[in-house]
Amino acid sequence: MPITTEFEYIKPKDMDEALHVFSLYREKAKALAGGTDLVVQLKENIAKPEIVVDIKNLEELRGLTLDGNKLKIGALVTFADLIESDLVKTRYPLLWEASLTVASTGVRNRATVAGNICSAVPSADSAPVLAVYDAVVLVRAIRGERAVSIHNWFAGPKKTALAADEIVTGLELPLPEKKHAGCYMKLCRYEGEDLAQGGIAVLAFADNTYRVATCALGPKPARCPKTERLLNGNKLSAPVLGKARKLILSEISPIADIRSSKEYRLHMAEIMLERALEIALARLSGKGPCYGENNIV
Amino acid sequence: MNLQKIISKPKKTTKVKTQDDLLVVGTSVPRVDGWEKIKGAAKYTDDLEFGPGLLYAAIVESPFAHARIKSIDTSKAEKLPGVVKVVTGDNFKHKFGLYMTDRYVFATDTVRFVGEQVAAVVATDPKVALRGAALVEVKYEELTPVFDPVKALEKNAPIIHPDLENYRHVPWFFPKPNTNIAHWRKTRKGDLAKGFKEADLVMEDTYYVPRYAHCAIEPHCVIGLYDESGRLTMWTSSQSPFTQRNVFVQVLEPMGISHKDVRVISTYIGGGFGGKAGVSMEIIGAALAVSVQGRPVKVLWNRAQEFYNTYQRQGVTAKIKMGVKKDGRITALDFEMCWDAGAYVEYGANVVNAAGLSASGPYKVDNLKIDSMCIYTNLPPGGPYRGFGYSEFLFGLESHITRVAGKLGMDPVAFRKKNAIKEGDTLPYGAPMNPNGIKEAIEKVEKEIKWGVKEESKDPKKAIGKALVCFWKSPAMPPNAASSAFLKFNEDGSINILVSGMEIGQGLMTVMAQIASEVLTVPVSKIRVETPDTDRNPYEWQTVGSHVTWGCGNAVKSAAMEAREKIFDLVQRVHCLDKSTLYLKNETVRCHTRPDFELRLRDFVINGIQAEDHTFKGGPIMGSGMFMPEFASAIGDPETGQGGHPNVHYTTGSAGVILEVDRETGKMKIKKAALAVDCGKAINPDLVKGQIVGGLLQGFATVLYEDMRFGETGRLLNANFSDYKIPTAKDMPDVVVPIIIEVAQPDGPYGARGVGEHTMIPAAPLIANAVEDALGVRIKSMPVTKEKVALAVAAAKK
Repeated sequence: MPITTEFEYIKPKDMDEALHVFSLYREKAKALAGGTDLVVQLKENIAKPEIVVDIKNLEELRGLTLDGNKLKIGALVTFADLIESDLVKTRYPLLWEASLTVASTGVRNRATVAGNICSAVPSADSAPVLAVYDAVVLVRAIRGERAVSIHNWFAGPKKTALAADEIVTGLELPLPEKKHAGCYMKLCRYEGEDLAQGGIAVLAFADNTYRVATCALGPKPARCPKTERLLNGNKLSAPVLGKARKLILSEISPIADIRSSKEYRLHMAEIMLERALEIALARLSGKGPCYGENNIV
Repeated sequence: MNLQKIISKPKKTTKVKTQDDLLVVGTSVPRVDGWEKIKGAAKYTDDLEFGPGLLYAAIVESPFAHARIKSIDTSKAEKLPGVVKVVTGDNFKHKFGLYMTDRYVFATDTVRFVGEQVAAVVATDPKVALRGAALVEVKYEELTPVFDPVKALEKNAPIIHPDLENYRHVPWFFPKPNTNIAHWRKTRKGDLAKGFKEADLVMEDTYYVPRYAHCAIEPHCVIGLYDESGRLTMWTSSQSPFTQRNVFVQVLEPMGISHKDVRVISTYIGGGFGGKAGVSMEIIGAALAVSVQGRPVKVLWNRAQEFYNTYQRQGVTAKIKMGVKKDGRITALDFEMCWDAGAYVEYGANVVNAAGLSASGPYKVDNLKIDSMCIYTNLPPGGPYRGFGYSEFLFGLESHITRVAGKLGMDPVAFRKKNAIKEGDTLPYGAPMNPNGIKEAIEKVEKEIKWGVKEESKDPKKAIGKALVCFWKSPAMPPNAASSAFLKFNEDGSINILVSGMEIGQGLMTVMAQIASEVLTVPVSKIRVETPDTDRNPYEWQTVGSHVTWGCGNAVKSAAMEAREKIFDLVQRVHCLDKSTLYLKNETVRCHTRPDFELRLRDFVINGIQAEDHTFKGGPIMGSGMFMPEFASAIGDPETGQGGHPNVHYTTGSAGVILEVDRETGKMKIKKAALAVDCGKAINPDLVKGQIVGGLLQGFATVLYEDMRFGETGRLLNANFSDYKIPTAKDMPDVVVPIIIEVAQPDGPYGARGVGEHTMIPAAPLIANAVEDALGVRIKSMPVTKEKVALAVAAAKK
């Protein structure tokens, strides 16, 4: 299907040039990295930018490294890069697990993590994981750079804290010091490529503390502080799980859409929370399914 | 077909081959089109090159489900550089349609579904065409739409086709003018009231089936060229080149174009499933070609158009009332189907008709009433889809049967065995049932899924359920649907077969080659079968209804036999050997009475045989064959359906499943599926197994994941694979067991009957019944998604 809308295309050779274009065109400029969202929007006339800024030449946006106790993910890093990285698989297995559920192999080969949070759809698979790792989004404009906590990043469906003259340069994920294990549980209509109808990421720590975050169960991906407070300090007994299952319902506000009814999302949120906690806990003690297994419900 | 009798009652003295003597038929020879497709040599319509002069079209589509067109202003689009022509309905005032002429090329005064074509912009480039289409200004006056077939029957429902009484249609349709009923098939047999009176148990319920899309990998594509001499050539991705030619002429006849002037060339197609039968978007290609004479023009559907503006499988609301005796015998069946047939029913009405003749399923039902109503709605046109109405009614029927058996306290498999139809039983429309192996099919499937053995999942969160259902289907075709074949020998004794049955992945080419090979002893590797070109290949009605192995196969067999006859005549004439003593073996002519006689085919099939006087006798050997089911008749009593013989034969079978279901999430996994089908004779067993596995999986897709969702304005909400889910490799069942049953069809080539569609139709009730077996909840509307299952289980707990 051809793209009928007309726009300028530029591939800046360095960061300065790119930032200048964004400061000049602001909302009328769109960054192109993987293009898995943008190109579809162009074809369907949903996006009508004056200029498309191809950022794939910007070396500074590459790189997937562990710097001290922080994983640095450049803005051009794709989900396939994450999946193929031993570093991610061994040190951030939860991120690895969630990456496997993103779209399909072909899309993952192009789609970037930064693009996923810039598109900021409520169902972004990377978001709950970034939230439980307390990720930081690094952004830059001519006027300077800043770091935005992932918790302040999402402003609503398809809305972020990114200003019109800024671009995302990368993400930082601090590695928790305490022993931990996680699970990303995703509700799909089938095993194949699907947008999450609900997603819950859990990090469980050896000291009985927990982090819980969701996607597709509200207007924006978010942590669940009340549920975390209830769980913290407790072993996962049946009564605690039962209370947590009910409490998380007060922290989410799923909608009904073509993919799922509200009722089913609520029903599944309870089950996904319980199962994600159980699996994370099993993994913490060296048992449970391998990462990437049994997490599509 | 004298061979039919020989197959069903082989005489020991006969020299004609019995089933056991077959050399090629019954073996799994590799596909003859395999390498061509694997190596990328096979061409599909969009692959064809037409040079830089090729024009492209974009469609102006209706945003409304029901509206009057007040005006169309094409002037801005016409001024856009690169736009060659803007074409509207003003240029094409003739209606067309396969079974009922209720469609225009472009909507003329009324649009009847969202996405309907109102105009087309032809341009030098696809982008320019799209930009031009956006510049066409259409003013509408909105009319009240109706989307639900049951509501469309209400007294004050808007009438979608006020001119219905003037529409031409086949004689076996019964439209009700001034209503939305385009066709009402009534089938009545026995005494229904008496049947219900005799019953110990009567159960009634309603089942719902939504619309479905074919989702062929290759979208529809057509290129038309109307040259300066008045010859129209159409390259189409089609299951029905000859039917397309016929329908094109319906529209183009007023311009002086006749059948001989139209040439339809069908390349390989990337999946059909009924969606490329008849004529849908191709009519636009034909109309545009004649509008830009001298230049080829291409219309290529995008994926969204593929969903909303081709045929869709129709939805149905089915009310079933069944009466049974305590011993399980069905005494009465009252089956009422309201079909959501869409805005135009030129093809879809025959789906409704087919279901109306056969909704008893493969059971003997003495007292029967079927009402199958084809109802216009303001949704996209319904049409053929693998299964042709049978999947739809079978969901309700086979769900209902399991429930009735359960209520009786009877094993549902025993119930089915008790009522299963036998050869000679009277069909719903009065004719006798053909030989069939349904009993054997049930028994084999029963064994395969260990029916009666309750299984437990290793995972306590999951339950396991089983189900077994039966199915049947007949080709739905006009009584005079014909097939024909040409067979030509070449200098080296190789053969070209020309047929217009389409290779749509089912393996038609391979099977036709096997049939000719069997008769003429020429190996399959020396036989080519060509895709259709209506100028070159002889007539075939359509590649639909799972009838081409049977119909086209009979034609090829008859062509091969004619060629063989010519060979024997020639040898008799030149060598003075009695024809009846001659036979073929390993590409040579042999003689029973003269073991030393041997004449290679390659030595004479083109250049003849040299006689003693040095002259040559004979010449190029060709065979032609035709087939038409001369016993068929579509005319029965309109009030009862009795008296005709509309269906040529039924293929029967049975399928079973072992299903694991998560008690909380509703997630389902098919641990094992088995399907046994009586194909009469598996000419190529591997291809039959391919049909069984592929069909069953397509069926599971419709019951587990797919359905078309329409918004309040009638717009299709999921015209994409993000939200119209067809399963991936990850969603396959663990095991699928294909089982071939062979109870010969007397009039089929080597006893074969159709098998292609049948393999998908039992899938939906299998899942619904297995879910109930596992968790005790009954889902009465398709699809049976995990969401529905989980919420039903949760509701049952409360």
